[in-house]
Amino acid sequence: MLKLTGIRRSYRIGPVTTEILRGVDLEVHAGDLMSIMGPSGSGKTTLMNIVGLLDRPTSGACILDGRDVSGLRDDELSALRNRHIGFVFQSFHLLPQLTALENVCLPLVYRGAGRPEMRRHAQAILERVGMAERTGHRPDQLSGGQKQRVAIARALVGEPALLLADEPTGALDADTAGEVMALLRQLNAERGITILIITHDPSVAGQCARQTRIRDGRLFEPKAAAADGA
Amino acid sequence: MSRTFSVLSANAREAAESLRRARLRTVLGLVGVMIGISSVIAMVSLGEIAREQARKQFEALGTDIVVVRKAVGSGAKAIDLPNALQVAAAVPSITEAAPRISGRGTFRFAGRKVGGGAVQGVTRSFASVNRLTLQEGRFISDLDADRYWCVVGAGVAEAMRGAGADRLAGSLLEVDEVLFTVVGVLDDKEESYALPVQVNANKSVFVPITTAQRIVPAPGVEVVIARSRAGVHYGTAVADIRSFFRKRAPGLGLDIVTAKELIARMEVQMGIFTLLLGAVGSISLIVGGIGIMNIMLVSVAERRAEIAIRRALGARQRDIRSQFLIESVILTIIGGMLGIALGLAATWTICRFTDWDFLISGLSVASGLGTAAAVGLFFGFQPAHQASRLDPIAGLQGK
Ligand SMILES: Nc1ncnc2c1ncn2[C@@H]1O[C@H](COP(=O)(O)OP(=O)(O)OP(=O)(O)O)[C@@H](O)[C@H]1O
Ligand SMILES: [Mg+2]
Repeated sequence: MLKLTGIRRSYRIGPVTTEILRGVDLEVHAGDLMSIMGPSGSGKTTLMNIVGLLDRPTSGACILDGRDVSGLRDDELSALRNRHIGFVFQSFHLLPQLTALENVCLPLVYRGAGRPEMRRHAQAILERVGMAERTGHRPDQLSGGQKQRVAIARALVGEPALLLADEPTGALDADTAGEVMALLRQLNAERGITILIITHDPSVAGQCARQTRIRDGRLFEPKAAAADGA
Repeated sequence: MSRTFSVLSANAREAAESLRRARLRTVLGLVGVMIGISSVIAMVSLGEIAREQARKQFEALGTDIVVVRKAVGSGAKAIDLPNALQVAAAVPSITEAAPRISGRGTFRFAGRKVGGGAVQGVTRSFASVNRLTLQEGRFISDLDADRYWCVVGAGVAEAMRGAGADRLAGSLLEVDEVLFTVVGVLDDKEESYALPVQVNANKSVFVPITTAQRIVPAPGVEVVIARSRAGVHYGTAVADIRSFFRKRAPGLGLDIVTAKELIARMEVQMGIFTLLLGAVGSISLIVGGIGIMNIMLVSVAERRAEIAIRRALGARQRDIRSQFLIESVILTIIGGMLGIALGLAATWTICRFTDWDFLISGLSVASGLGTAAAVGLFFGFQPAHQASRLDPIAGLQGK
C-alpha cells in the first residue's frame, strides 16, 4: 500500500546542508505492524513526516496506494492525510481547549461530516479504546495513558488505512505503555489497520511483526526478527 | 458544500469559544473597534442630522422660494417698483411675488423707545410669501398705499406692551419721528438662516411699500421674494423672470437665487461635510483595526501547535484561514454593535445640547455594521493568511 524508493531529505541551515535521510527504501503492506528503531536524531520523525505527507522529500518517490504523491497540491495532500493517515504523536498533541470527544471529532470536521454523525463515531471509537467514561474531559483532566488513548481514538476515527505512531509510549510508564501497545496490536489484528511505530524501546519493537532500524540515513530490516504472538 | 459548511460552523463555534477564553484580549480588541465604529457612527449621524436640520428650515418656508435682487455692480438702476408689482401676474411660472423696500429705524411708543430694526415696505403678498401670520388685526393691504399704517413684529409688540400699550391695534408707533397707526401684530416667527433672504419679522415694522418709498433713504426695490408654481423647475422660473425683466428694463442685471438651487448646493456641501466627518471617524476605526490585527497575530503565534495539529489531521490552508478570519470578524461585529450603541448615545447627547432633532440614520447603522465586518476581514486577513501558511512540521516540533 505504501512504497518509498530512494527517499532523501536534507536540511539546509545557512551554508551547511545536512542530509538526514540518504536513500530510504521501504515497502509497507496492508495489515503490517512495523517498528522503526534508531538513535535520537537519526531521522525517524523526519521519515514519519514524509510518510505522513506532512513533508516532501528532497528526492525519491513516495507511492501511496499506487499513486505518486510528489506532484500533489497542498489541498490534495491535506485531503489524503485526512482520509488515509492517522497520526499518534509522542506528546499526544491533543487540543487543550477541547474535550476528549471534540478532539476525536476533529478529523471528521475536516471531512465534512454532520455533527450528530461525527459525535456518534467519536463516541464509538472512544468506547473502543476504553475511554467511554471520560468523553467530556479536557486533556488536562486526563492521565498520560488516557491522553494517549484519546490520541489513538482521534487517529482512528476516520478509519485510516495507515496509522503512524511516533513514540506512542515514550511519555508513559511501563504498565501504561504495555496497555497502549496491547491496544495497537489488537487494532492491527482485529481491523487489519496498517501500523507504523517509531520507538526507542526494544520491548515495544519486539511486539511488532516487522522490525526495522534506521542508521546513517538508511533503513535496514534484519531478516530474522520475529515477533511473539500477542 | 457540506464540507465547507461543516468546517465553517465548527470554526465559528471554536472562534466564539476561543474569544471567550482570551477574555482580557477580547475585551481590549472590542474596545478598540467599539471606539472606532462609535466615532464613525456619531460623525455620520451628526452630519445627517445637520443636513436634516437645514432641510427642515427650508421646508418651513417652502422650497419653491425664488429671490430676485439687482445684481451687484449692475448699472445704476434698481428694480422698478411697477415692474416688481407685475411679476406675479406676468410670469406664469411664478404664483406670488413680494417686493420689499428696506430701511432702518428707531421705534418709540408714547415717547419711550421700544426697539429699533428694519422698516420694511411691503405689499399684501409679503405675508403669504413669507408665511407670516397675525396674532391681532390685519396685514398691510393693497388699499393701504401711501397710508401711515404699520404692522409690527412680535418682538416690537412685546416691547410696546412692556411700555404700557394694552391694545396694540389702533395705537400709535413713532418710527424715526414719523407717526404710524398699528393695524396688525404678527405672530412670533422663527428666523430661518438657511434661506437666501432674511425677514427678521419679530424685530421689524412693516409699512405699505409706497409709504416706505417716502421715508427710507434708499427707496429702490431691494428684493423681490417670489414663489414658483408647483412642478416648475427652478431653472424655468429663473429664465422666465429674466426674460420678463429683459423686456421691461433692458440693461438691468439680476441676481436670482432659488431655494431649490441652494438646497442642491447644500446637499453637496453636507455630503462633503458628512464624508469629512466620516473620514475623521475612520481614523480611529483604523487604529481599532490595527488593534485587532495585533491581537490576531498574537493569537496565531500562541496557537502554532494547534494549527499544525489541525493541518496534520487534514485541515486545508483555507480551513485554517477561515477559522481565524471568522474569529476576527466575530470580534469586530460585536465591537461594531457596541460601537453603534455608543455612537448613537453620543449623538443623542450632542443633540440634546444643541437643540437638534435626534434621528437614527439607518444608513449610518447599516454602514457601521458593514464597516465593522470589513475591518474584521481586512485586518484579520494578514494574521489568518499567516496562520494558514505555517509549516505544520515546525508547529509540531514546537519551533
Ligand atoms: N526543520 C529542521 N531544520 C533543520 N534540521 C532539522 C529540522 N528538523 C529536523 N532536523 C534535524 O534532522 C535530524 C533528525 O531529526 P528527527 O526529528 O527526524 O530525529 P529523530 O530520529 O526523530 O530523533 P528523536 O528520537 O530524538 O525524536 C536532527 O539532527 C535534527 O536536528
Ligand atoms: Mg523524533
